[in-house]
Amino acid sequence: MTITIETQTDQPLLELKDLRTHFHTFAGVVKAVNGVSFKIGAGEIMGLVGESGGGKSVVGFSILGLIESPGKIEGGEILFDGEDLAKASDERLREIRGRDISMVFQDPMTSLNPLHTVGDQMDEVLRLHSNLDADARKQACIKMLESVGISQAEERLKAYPHQFSGGMRQRVVIAIAMLAQPRLIIADEPTTALDVTIQSQILKLMRQQIADNGASMILVTHDLAVVSEMADHITVLYCGQVVEQGKTRDIIESPSHPYTRGLIDSIPDPTDRMARLNQIPGNVPDIRNLPKGCNFRARCPRAQDLCAEQEPTLKPQHNSLVSACHFPLQPGEK
Amino acid sequence: MSNTPMLEVRDLKMRFPIGGGLLDRMRLDKKGFRIENPVVQAINGVSFKIEPGEVMALVGESGCGKSTVAKTIARIYSPTGGDILIDGENISDYGFSEMLPVRAKMQMIFQDPFASLNPRQKVRDIVAEPLLEQTKDAKSQKDIPAEIEALLAKVGLNSEHAGRYPHQFSGGQRQRIGIARALSVRPGLIIADEPVSALDVSIQAQILNLMMDLRDEFGLAYLFISHDLSVVHHIADRVGVMYLGFMVENAPRDQLFSKPKHPYTRALLSAAPSIKPTRDKEEIELTGEVPSALNLPSGCCFRTRCPFAWDRCAKERPVLKDVGDGQSVACHLTDEPEREVA
Repeated sequence: MTITIETQTDQPLLELKDLRTHFHTFAGVVKAVNGVSFKIGAGEIMGLVGESGGGKSVVGFSILGLIESPGKIEGGEILFDGEDLAKASDERLREIRGRDISMVFQDPMTSLNPLHTVGDQMDEVLRLHSNLDADARKQACIKMLESVGISQAEERLKAYPHQFSGGMRQRVVIAIAMLAQPRLIIADEPTTALDVTIQSQILKLMRQQIADNGASMILVTHDLAVVSEMADHITVLYCGQVVEQGKTRDIIESPSHPYTRGLIDSIPDPTDRMARLNQIPGNVPDIRNLPKGCNFRARCPRAQDLCAEQEPTLKPQHNSLVSACHFPLQPGEK
Repeated sequence: MSNTPMLEVRDLKMRFPIGGGLLDRMRLDKKGFRIENPVVQAINGVSFKIEPGEVMALVGESGCGKSTVAKTIARIYSPTGGDILIDGENISDYGFSEMLPVRAKMQMIFQDPFASLNPRQKVRDIVAEPLLEQTKDAKSQKDIPAEIEALLAKVGLNSEHAGRYPHQFSGGQRQRIGIARALSVRPGLIIADEPVSALDVSIQAQILNLMMDLRDEFGLAYLFISHDLSVVHHIADRVGVMYLGFMVENAPRDQLFSKPKHPYTRALLSAAPSIKPTRDKEEIELTGEVPSALNLPSGCCFRTRCPFAWDRCAKERPVLKDVGDGQSVACHLTDEPEREVA
């Protein structure tokens, strides 16, 4: 890799421009990601939220070049520090993966190799991405395990994944992800499989690791509560497209897109207990066969004739928000 | 009769022997040769009541025994000890055929809407199955198709759906089918084991609303198992908090959320992420993880993670004590509150 040049402060660490990742299946083309753009600055946490099938995980996989056939990045740019990863060779991507960008997966039970010790799996990262000797690598691994809160780290390096509990395994996965001091971490539902007391431990740990290393993070999750406690910015996806973006507080307090409003209102709010939850009617439409116009219109309480004819584009709204809606909500409007 | 609780559980215990065959259980070490009989102590004496029309929630983390309680009450498991009374009738040692009439009073909704429906049966047959089991005379069996249609309409599906197979539905719709099946015999109690945790949040709200509507319409009582405190806060009248097979706190909802007494309840509430970060949230952070149910700690089960634990907690197991206003807590702190100055 070339010498790191001081990046200008206004250049984002990662910029997605109109990313399109499609899957060519026998049943038709699944446009899982269909024109997604966003930016993340150094040290920022971006929350990527949406329901199942929104395309949020595919965005994460696309950035790392982990899309396999029948999936394909059909267009758009993934600018990481100015370099377009969508056009990068496999070799170059392998260099970047684990060193500059690393990933934390949802399921700590399956993302570690059961046949290798934790120490081997940690060592692999440093063997590939550093020129430290064996002893220094081991010391680095021990230090990393300790910093994620695993005691007797030296002993535990010899243990296999099945000898750890779920929470401990997720700590190991985070330790592996942080080991090469990456500049960007993509965390795909990192705490969804964990219990709530363990979740709060892991979230705290991730926040601290990111602050200590000055890294950025994309936090992919369906849980708005987790995002609202962790992220600086939120991007809401629906049917593979961005429907709303903005600063976390602005989105949570007063979203402009009816889908975001619906997601927030679906969460039972302990401070304001109503007899009924405000539900979003219906289901996510079939992504192979999206309706004309706005994808959300069949479930939207504000839909009008225009929504069936013309697809809304992203437009600036109040505060820091940008959203794709013909009839956006005004501040304070329900 | 009107004073009989819909469900009463007294000192319920459930143990699962594990360890396989004789060879697997043989041990030879410093202590000599022996044959071990490892037992998972899944439920260690749980008692509670549910009145008709009441929603009782059991919360706790994985492995706390909340699902085992549900399955034992539904008599999917036979309890190791204790009594289960459905509408005043003790069913704890009923056999299969004795359970049949009881099942008309008590039905279950499962967590996974994909695994809990037979993929080879049409929706119509899935929903009709409990009814067919319960109505043996041919005359009333004739009314079943009309009944099914009415049930499907109640849960927000239409008659066109009756001829389809489960794989043709989304997760939320499948959960509706599961609810229709449970409702078909007009039970007084529905045991719902994490009914919304596999669903997206917008669909989750639909199902919760449906369950509350049905409660109002049929006067249903629910035993609602969940790990999600915000859902529990929304739906429950009364909440029981479980830890390692013990009930550590049992209180009316508002009491539990505003004045939690047990350190574990307080830690759970403080750990739950919320969309509106609350200003005065108590910070109790738990270290470590839940001990194994194969080898319970002496005394209080929670002492290994409790920030307030002292020597008494290791010696003496706290029992659930009434602290007033319908709230009961199993913690020595209720006797010695001055210990809490941390």
